[in-house]
Amino acid sequence: MSIQHHPLDELLTAFAAGTLDLGQHVAVATHLTQCARCRDATQLMEHVGGAVLASLPPTPMSGDALTRVQARLREPIAYETPREEPGSGALDDIPGLPAFVRRYSAAPWKWIAPGVRLRPIQLPAVSGTRVFLLKSRPNTRMLEHTHTGMEMTCVLTGCFSHEAGHYGPGDFDLGDDSMRHNVMVGPAEDCICLVAMHGALRMAGFIGHLIQPFVRL
Amino acid sequence: MTAPDGQSAADSGDWARLIEAIALHQDRAAFAALFEHFAPLVKTLMRRSGVAESSADELAQETLLLVWRKAALFDPSIAGAAAWIFTIARNLRIDAHRRGQRGGVTEISGIDAEFHVDESPGPETRVAAAQAENRVRSALAALSEEQRRVMELSFYEEKAHGEIARILRIPLGTVKSRSRLAMNKLRNLLGEFS
Repeated sequence: MSIQHHPLDELLTAFAAGTLDLGQHVAVATHLTQCARCRDATQLMEHVGGAVLASLPPTPMSGDALTRVQARLREPIAYETPREEPGSGALDDIPGLPAFVRRYSAAPWKWIAPGVRLRPIQLPAVSGTRVFLLKSRPNTRMLEHTHTGMEMTCVLTGCFSHEAGHYGPGDFDLGDDSMRHNVMVGPAEDCICLVAMHGALRMAGFIGHLIQPFVRL
Repeated sequence: MTAPDGQSAADSGDWARLIEAIALHQDRAAFAALFEHFAPLVKTLMRRSGVAESSADELAQETLLLVWRKAALFDPSIAGAAAWIFTIARNLRIDAHRRGQRGGVTEISGIDAEFHVDESPGPETRVAAAQAENRVRSALAALSEEQRRVMELSFYEEKAHGEIARILRIPLGTVKSRSRLAMNKLRNLLGEFS
């Protein structure tokens, strides 16, 4: 199956520039794990970063900067064998995650609506974006919802569709403050997505209002 | 060893050879030449990313120290010298930013991993990087002044398109379209996605 929905170029640029916050970085990285085309684009943008660096006007260094660094050249190199943290193993059963995300810890699945469960992923640094897995049973019709911020979704297994198209593994969906209608999970298997959500989710409708206080999205 | 003189005159391959000289025989003269050229550029990048003067100086020093320590990992077939140094500086800036936050605990090796997402590195998926830096530079030069400016500003911390629009005093939609045009043009010029 080929990937149809990619992050916008500006997101890929921000990824390479290192200006995304960690939660958004995780969402884009999840797409990149499965998309060679966008990996190439981010690599291209790293080259552009190099060209931008090379074209900057120099700012004079402090007088003793070189001497101070030269004095440290003989220091033993501590980082050479990057510690591969074993990780919690909590996410080992989830396909399609980047290696660095698999080392994060995650809370247990919790029920949030009929056919829908959510599993928060714990980020190792402060981020204004929350990251979680969302698992929906086949043929689940998702609650209509809107956000006050930006939501990034990357499909890991299964598929869903809404008015903007069909989304399968690796596909990336960017939601903004417009309302999503008719999000429908495909019939074949559970759909697991990684979601990075900036701002609050608001569920519409009676059920949404009822469960909102309890799920604390 | 003499430094390649002048950014424009020097082939980026010259800088790559200096990094390789460090990897092969801990060449301190090569290091000094790289430091004199790149540390002031990295410092400017840090300053424009909103890092304070003293920290920018320190982070530029740290960046070049990592160039020394990681020289053996430098692969000129993947990235040019400036692009490689850019990624080191970028990751150090993220690391410093997180350390400055409450609860920021990640180590620099962790940040490197965050940018290593390709688990099946096949050469066919790699942008052919030999001379990529020179090609990117000429591609950038072929952009309009406005497109180039939008591209450059994208590489400074927290210059989201909204803020770029404010800085350049142009509408947000214009920033987005210029950015998209610039990216398309770059891709076409480089022939990566034809």
